Amino acid sequence: MSEPFDVELAAAQEALVRAMAAGGPLPEGFDADAVRATARGILAKRAGEVARAWPLLAGSYGASWTATFAGWATERPTRGSFRDGWDFARARRADLTAEAARELALVEARWSYDGASPPWPRRAAVRRVPGGVALVARGRIRVIGRGAGAPTPR
Amino acid sequence: MVSDVTVPELGVGVGWRPEIAGFVEALPKLRFTEVIAESVHPERPAPDLAALRDRGVTIVPHGVKLSLGGAEPVAADRVAHLAACAEVLKAPLVSEHVAFVRAGGIEAGHLLPVPRTRAALDVLTANIRRTRSELPVPLAVEPIAMLFDWPDDEYTEADFLTELLDRTGALLLLDVANVYANARNRGEDPLALLDRLPLDRVAYCHVAGGSEAGGRYHDTHAAAVPAGVLDLVAEMCARQRPPGFLLERDGHYPPVDELRAELDAIAAASGFPAVT
Repeated sequence: MSEPFDVELAAAQEALVRAMAAGGPLPEGFDADAVRATARGILAKRAGEVARAWPLLAGSYGASWTATFAGWATERPTRGSFRDGWDFARARRADLTAEAARELALVEARWSYDGASPPWPRRAAVRRVPGGVALVARGRIRVIGRGAGAPTPR
Repeated sequence: MVSDVTVPELGVGVGWRPEIAGFVEALPKLRFTEVIAESVHPERPAPDLAALRDRGVTIVPHGVKLSLGGAEPVAADRVAHLAACAEVLKAPLVSEHVAFVRAGGIEAGHLLPVPRTRAALDVLTANIRRTRSELPVPLAVEPIAMLFDWPDDEYTEADFLTELLDRTGALLLLDVANVYANARNRGEDPLALLDRLPLDRVAYCHVAGGSEAGGRYHDTHAAAVPAGVLDLVAEMCARQRPPGFLLERDGHYPPVDELRAELDAIAAASGFPAVT
């Protein structure tokens, strides 16, 4: 992030974004209902984007996906749909369905992610995943064992 | 500063998205599409996209994360990416938004309105100039749909946009659905805004659908284009027909027959040839 052109405008924009995405207080003078409606629309859009990146995770929640994700994300600014879905799945690891757990396990075999900095692809790994063992080499993943025919996510 | 850029006739197009790539590619008379710039890998563009380019279809890279309206300078790597997209796709222009998407290192997750103030005009002008200086092609900027305004607005929307275009020489990407949505939510007449905008600066237009929720019309791009938006397309063409109209669809993709019918309806409303 570079130095702002305009410190006052930068602070005003930050206050608005904090109010909408990070649980901050709404700055004075705004139509609170309209800002809330916008923030809800953004959460619904984020839920749709995460569903594209994590189809089995989102699918496991059925019709309640948007509301469930929005509830979790409401004070968590986006870090991109891939990480948002990953963070959500980790937060709910104990409650994931078998399919969602497998989706998470395959992503974790393929990518390294400490939860703080952006994920990076593993060059090589052998990891146990539900239904078998995932072999990662030169960016490709192969699952050996039962369930190896199931789709492999990114 | 007024540019003398003219945009070639584009006709009716539809936004390229991975989910409808097959539909877009199969449109026999398509001459114009748009792709979300952040989804393009300039070193290896998606094969379907490269095929369209090689077929002579005009592809406009459309950025959504540059944050031209942010109080911080635009990120050089994001501008370079937009420029690389234009090069690899042989685009005659690129587009972005009159909006900001992050502040203080926090991502908003979507396009947010800037205050219509002199201070915001100054940062937009600086960021658009920086961006244009690195781009190999002209830039069109798009006003957004918004459910709220800032409390300290000093300009009307038309005056704000006109001054911005005059200052920067940028072209206008006018989203007819945004004009419709904002007017509907403010209880205003959309034609009043159309009549005050410099329509001769329009590079092309967006058309999209939305839905009503909680007493507000949301421009979701995930529903059919309402009749009121098609009426505005016709109204606009009666004043000054822009080079093209592009349908944006970003979710709840309907059967292809419905998408085809929407493109035909836009062609009928604008007088451009059908592309289906």
